[in-house]
Amino acid sequence: MLFILEDTINGILMGSIYGLAALGLTLIFGVLKVINFAHGSLLMVGMYVAYWAVLLTGVHPYLSLVIVVPVMFLFGYLLQDILIKPIFKAEKNVREPITVIIVTTGVWYILDNLSLLIFGPQYRNIQDNPLRGKMLEAGEMMISVPKLWGFCAAIITALLVYLFLQKTRMGRAVRATSLDRDAASLQGINQYKIYNISFGIGTAVAGVAGVTLVPFFNIFPSVGVLFDIKCFIIVVLGGLGSIGGALLGGMIVGVIESVGPQFMTATWTEAIVYGLFLVFLFLKPSGLFGVKYDW
Amino acid sequence: MKILELQTVRKYFGGIKAVESFSLDVNEGDIVGLIGPNGAGKSTLFNCVAGVFPPTAGDILFLGEKINGQKPWDLCHKGLARTFQIVKPFASRSVLYNVMVGAFATTDKRSEAEQRAREVLQHLNMDDKKDQRAGNLTIADRKRLEIARALATRPKLLLLDEVMAGLRPTEVDEMVAIIKRLREGGMTIFVIEHIMRAIMALSDRIAVLHFGTKIAEGNPQEITRDERVIKAYLGEDYGAA
Amino acid sequence: MKPVVYRKLPLILVGVMAFGLPLVVTSPTYLHIVILLFLYAYLTTSWNLVGGFAGVLPLGHAAFVGIGAYTSTILSLQYGVSPWIGMLVGAVIASIVGVIIGLPTFKMRGAYFALATIAFAEGIRVMFENIDYLGPFQINGPRGLQIPPLKTGLASFMFAEKEPYYYIILVMLAGVLLLTWAISRSKLGYYLMAGGEEPEAAQALGVNVARAKLTAMAMSSFLTAFAGTFWAQFTLYIHPKSVMSLDISFEIAFIALIGGRGSIAGPVLGALLLRPVSDFSRIYFGDKLPGLHLIIFGVVLILVMLFQPRGLQLPLTRIYHRVMDRLFGDREAAV
Repeated sequence: MLFILEDTINGILMGSIYGLAALGLTLIFGVLKVINFAHGSLLMVGMYVAYWAVLLTGVHPYLSLVIVVPVMFLFGYLLQDILIKPIFKAEKNVREPITVIIVTTGVWYILDNLSLLIFGPQYRNIQDNPLRGKMLEAGEMMISVPKLWGFCAAIITALLVYLFLQKTRMGRAVRATSLDRDAASLQGINQYKIYNISFGIGTAVAGVAGVTLVPFFNIFPSVGVLFDIKCFIIVVLGGLGSIGGALLGGMIVGVIESVGPQFMTATWTEAIVYGLFLVFLFLKPSGLFGVKYDW
Repeated sequence: MKILELQTVRKYFGGIKAVESFSLDVNEGDIVGLIGPNGAGKSTLFNCVAGVFPPTAGDILFLGEKINGQKPWDLCHKGLARTFQIVKPFASRSVLYNVMVGAFATTDKRSEAEQRAREVLQHLNMDDKKDQRAGNLTIADRKRLEIARALATRPKLLLLDEVMAGLRPTEVDEMVAIIKRLREGGMTIFVIEHIMRAIMALSDRIAVLHFGTKIAEGNPQEITRDERVIKAYLGEDYGAA
Repeated sequence: MKPVVYRKLPLILVGVMAFGLPLVVTSPTYLHIVILLFLYAYLTTSWNLVGGFAGVLPLGHAAFVGIGAYTSTILSLQYGVSPWIGMLVGAVIASIVGVIIGLPTFKMRGAYFALATIAFAEGIRVMFENIDYLGPFQINGPRGLQIPPLKTGLASFMFAEKEPYYYIILVMLAGVLLLTWAISRSKLGYYLMAGGEEPEAAQALGVNVARAKLTAMAMSSFLTAFAGTFWAQFTLYIHPKSVMSLDISFEIAFIALIGGRGSIAGPVLGALLLRPVSDFSRIYFGDKLPGLHLIIFGVVLILVMLFQPRGLQLPLTRIYHRVMDRLFGDREAAV
């Protein structure tokens, strides 16, 4: 019984990291109404940036946020500005520009293979970082310390994003654009700038997720693919556009993955996650909290 | 014989009562007009009849058969065709292609569909434009294309949703002539229109909708003299177009 | 001869050349490359029925390849059924699966549909990778199934040389192109186009859009499964990653998109342009620069989407027609 509790807790912690990874995706969708298929790759880029930052400077992994966040923000901003904006402009009247999906898929392919080319296929990790392998003892349970840090990072990031959207002027502009881009534009909000910023923030959040993973997760070129699909699943479960939904969806997946192997093979656990995904897609595509205006 | 019967039709969207207890009969060969201020519920009524959504209550009978909630494509095969207020041509294709889509409703063979489409286009004086890209047409031609497409399905009842909107006065007159010619050919027509001069010229009978309720019904003369109608419109549309 | 026939002359020439190719290209390596090229042209053309004509973005078509490959292989290995019959059975199963997938997903928005197809395809692949037996059928998980090269000949769909494979895939490709052309001119083709472009208007004109899309999906998955059987009989070894991977699904979709989905020539053109890139970059750069061809794909894809979203077939066919106009005078307008 205690194992289940321990697994559940660790599952929640890991799940919150999944949720953090999915948070960027859900933000980008909420504002741009586009599912960014390259999200996993962006996460991968974040992980590599953090990895190199730590390796070269020797600092505590979480200090690398100082580099990772601005770099990722800029990367996302430029990506949106250079590649996606032209399509938005060209397909102004199309209800949902499929072309953008195609382009982000192309970005996925390019990023993943570019990093394979540059960094090679080997698995990397930071062996002697202050968080690796540390466990917290809570009674008879062992809680993973890096995941606990990740959990805190996830909550703090989600809170910061929420405050940004609710309390700042820019945040309100973002919310306005996500509700009705034409109306917002009539109010003097430059929708394309908002898109750029939103994409930048979403990518930066993916970068934070990358930082939380670096202490204990292996880093390799196709690590993004793992998370990509998981993030889609989480975002559908939790509701596209919902911050709380992303975190909650992440935790659900985390718990299933953690507790599941106690009762069945890993394959079946994976199958359950896929199954849940499909069930939600068919029956409740708006997810648990997905109502359009859920900021 | 009664082509269309609306019996105490109601349509609510949650708490919003879009259409309240509306009844109307459309007889064979009639042109019946539906007018009313913006937001009165005209398009909602059309959409109920055309199968876009079912009425909340009441019955809609087409050729004596209850059609509540039947799907647009099935209704089309039964002889009910409609146009859209905001025209929806298949813009990347030719005019002929557009009309052929409609023509396929009554045949499976391409040659027959092509022939029928050309007949319809000739009937509407559009045959010379048959190879033009639909997206490049003027608004007046696009409206005619909407009608042509619907006609190609060989309907018994044609629902026209504001076909005059956006047309210049000469174009309005042309469209009125076309619609009258259709009726002479035996078509029954149910029209929503804002352009008074068109609806007055066309309709045998007019029903007036205001906040979802029918406030008047009669021939054009009776309608223009009706107090409630004048009050509803505040007279401003009387000289329109 | 009428000008119309003159304009088709280059195409006829290409057809003749295609039939005579093995006489000229005798190196098995190059013939192998051409066979794969035709295979991908076949796959993308089949994909086009859903991805192009029906206007949705299916990103999991490799699942049907896998179903075709595994069905015919299991039937021939375990029950001695001829691969030709196994091909048909696999196609029917794929068709049914395709309809099952399509039923709930066609109602979804574009991005959700794409996600659902990925989820289905990956789900099927993961399942195959993790089970050894599916009921009485041996799947063998990630180790896959090997086909022992015992008897050769048309009946057993197995040959020692490459030439027969070449002709089979050529016939398949020609067949699927002809089918696509016929559909584009048929009621189904018109209905699919209408439903993809303006679904509400199409419905008002009598088009059951959902049913048309499902029909296209059934056809597409049916034909795609044929390719799976061909692949199995050609390489004599199948495992989930080789016939069902996401990479294959994406490559099919990318090629069709770059070439121009929704057109008949697009997918084939895409394959003609991109497969050589893929093969040559793998041959010459395979060790030093792995994955280079995928980067090129990605870049080309993005460039095409930005500047020629209808695909490269649009400017290419325009050039073709302009050349034909110069040579043979204006063509009659086509519908």
